[in-house]
Amino acid sequence: MTQSAKRTITADYVIIGGGITGAMVAQKLSDLKPSASIIVVEAGSTLFDNENRFQYRQRNLDYGENMWPGDFIADQAPDGMISRTMAVGGSALHWGGVCNRFSEEDLRLKSMYGIGADWPVEWKDLEKFYCEAERRIGVSGEPSPLPEDRRSEPYPMPAMTPTYNLKQLKTWAEKSGIPFWTSPQAKNTKEGYNGRSVCHRCNTCEVCPTGARYSPDWTFKQLIADKKRKVQLHSRTLVRKLVMDDTSTKIVAAEAVSETGDAQQTQYRAKTFVVASGYVWSAHLLLLSANARFPNGLANSTDQVGRYINGHLAYQTQMDLDLKIYPGMNEQHSLISRKFFRCATDTPYIRHDLRVWESASGRDARLRDANGKVLLGDDLLNDWRTRTTRGSARVRGYFTVEPDKDSRITLDASKKNRWGDPMPLVRHKIDAASEARSGATRQHFEQLFAQMAKANDGKMGNISGLNYQDHPAGGCRMGTNPATSVVNAFGRTHDHENLFVVGAPTLPTGGCTNGTLTFVATALRSVAEIAR
Amino acid sequence: MKRRSLLKLATAVAAWSPVARLRAFAQSPVFTDAQRAVLDAIADTALPASLGREGRSDAVRKFVSWHTNYKAGADMGHGYGASTLRAASGPPVVGRYAAQFAALDQAAKAQGAASFAAAPVNVRKSVIESALSTPQPVNRLPARPTGANLVADFMGLYFSSAEAFDLAYRAQIGRDVCRGLEGSDQPPAKMEVR
Repeated sequence: MTQSAKRTITADYVIIGGGITGAMVAQKLSDLKPSASIIVVEAGSTLFDNENRFQYRQRNLDYGENMWPGDFIADQAPDGMISRTMAVGGSALHWGGVCNRFSEEDLRLKSMYGIGADWPVEWKDLEKFYCEAERRIGVSGEPSPLPEDRRSEPYPMPAMTPTYNLKQLKTWAEKSGIPFWTSPQAKNTKEGYNGRSVCHRCNTCEVCPTGARYSPDWTFKQLIADKKRKVQLHSRTLVRKLVMDDTSTKIVAAEAVSETGDAQQTQYRAKTFVVASGYVWSAHLLLLSANARFPNGLANSTDQVGRYINGHLAYQTQMDLDLKIYPGMNEQHSLISRKFFRCATDTPYIRHDLRVWESASGRDARLRDANGKVLLGDDLLNDWRTRTTRGSARVRGYFTVEPDKDSRITLDASKKNRWGDPMPLVRHKIDAASEARSGATRQHFEQLFAQMAKANDGKMGNISGLNYQDHPAGGCRMGTNPATSVVNAFGRTHDHENLFVVGAPTLPTGGCTNGTLTFVATALRSVAEIAR
Repeated sequence: MKRRSLLKLATAVAAWSPVARLRAFAQSPVFTDAQRAVLDAIADTALPASLGREGRSDAVRKFVSWHTNYKAGADMGHGYGASTLRAASGPPVVGRYAAQFAALDQAAKAQGAASFAAAPVNVRKSVIESALSTPQPVNRLPARPTGANLVADFMGLYFSSAEAFDLAYRAQIGRDVCRGLEGSDQPPAKMEVR
């Protein structure tokens, strides 16, 4: 592709990446510094056509079409990444909105259990930013009854009423002696919170047709519409390289190419650069930005960029239960227990969450009976009805695994985009300790699921594991020692005083539950430092 | 929600209403009258009697509408858990049915009927059972038409629908209907069906 002449755009802050972290950082930064000019640069498109969401949703239900059409860039194709979303809003365009917090143990794995790494952050400090993240996103939730999960502020909105199905499942699940409550969610239970509708329980949270479930496009639209703020969003603009000053280690520019028709090259100049591009693209940009003084990539003087990518694994099963369940009332809303977030230090280490959903597994119409005879009409319906008298639940536990140093993002010279940039190669690798306890972990879940099934004349289905690490993070981990980390506790790179990496990439370990709220909380914690 | 947003929402819903979809169907029929008659006969044989004639006709309309509104080359997204993009939607599968419609008629004629649509129920049932077993036995109903087996496609689209689930559960679950929070902690209303 040919490139036209270069243009230069100057701002106080340039944020690279328009996902949930970029949205939150832009919003808070403009709150703190209203007169500062902020440009958010996003490679993907803006999908702000809220008026079409019902149609997209219906096409997805009827035909399986993309519920967020055009939310990717075909040749930005990393090998090993678990989501191809690349648009304003990022993966949080079609997330389920689950807003679980990590726990204090996640920040102290090394000192408490001798595994993984400690975070250079105190829980009490992070907890304040969890509250802020919940306010900014708009989270409705039921507080955990466990004292270890105490909160310094109530949830911004009351918890969503559990469906009839969830109430039934809670009664069942607690028979096994494990406390459960409903998962906190980024879904409005109050009309008008942050300008969005109350949840209508449409059962398709991945594309919320009413806007009740938070997605970052709402924040960007509000920021842009607010003329008192100086926030701009430049979408379809791919930052290919960060440029360092000739005489210092400061970053002076971000070289980008605009895809808005003319493939125009743009140079963004700013006092401060914030990389908010998620766990893959953040490390990727730093690696791509190698220069003579940083031949392995920016912020990479100690070869830490791209390393220690993390996440969590899971075991799950379907339970057949002596319960009447009506699948389809609200399949995304779940129960959670945080009982297993804690692990006594004198017992074998295992930490996990535990979630329960309504399920239609085994409750669909079948064409043939157990003998293989074709079922038609009333015979099929009668067969189906005999299987609806009992209910089904999906049960899953995310468990912690710690990353090996070689759990890593590298540049793949064999695969390039149209601009000739090598694409990321993403390869997760758990460390030796996680590997060593994998058998015991599986055994733990087998026993736990069996215990739960037994509590209500239940039958446990096959146990399956995830074949990828979910809610991935890391790649630019935070720490106090530059030899083993990329950024400090506030996301400032050790090598470049005006370059920050925020959110998911900075996490040293991936916890045992959904990570988005933690990504946002850590990013918000960085903003005061960025604004300084 | 602001009034303007609500208006936009209402417009979007209206644009996707059954009326709009039926209008689209009226503009570009994908099945001939004879084929529609075969679909009606499949519905009479393969769908529950308790649906009644109107319910079965509605299932046929929805099957026709599904094919009418199918878009080739549509963005099918990328899912979650893998780094690959899904291939765009393929060409319409409706073209694969012509031979299958003919085969149903031929099989009915072999059993002494004038056509599949005109055949008595026992003949239609026998023909359908055979169609679901040859050349390859169909073991699961597809959630969406694939073109591989007309009868399975027709049954699959109906039996995976929210309406079919309601019938099976004898309850107005209304899967994927925006139900609101209030009252959703109660079991869905019962449906008076046989």
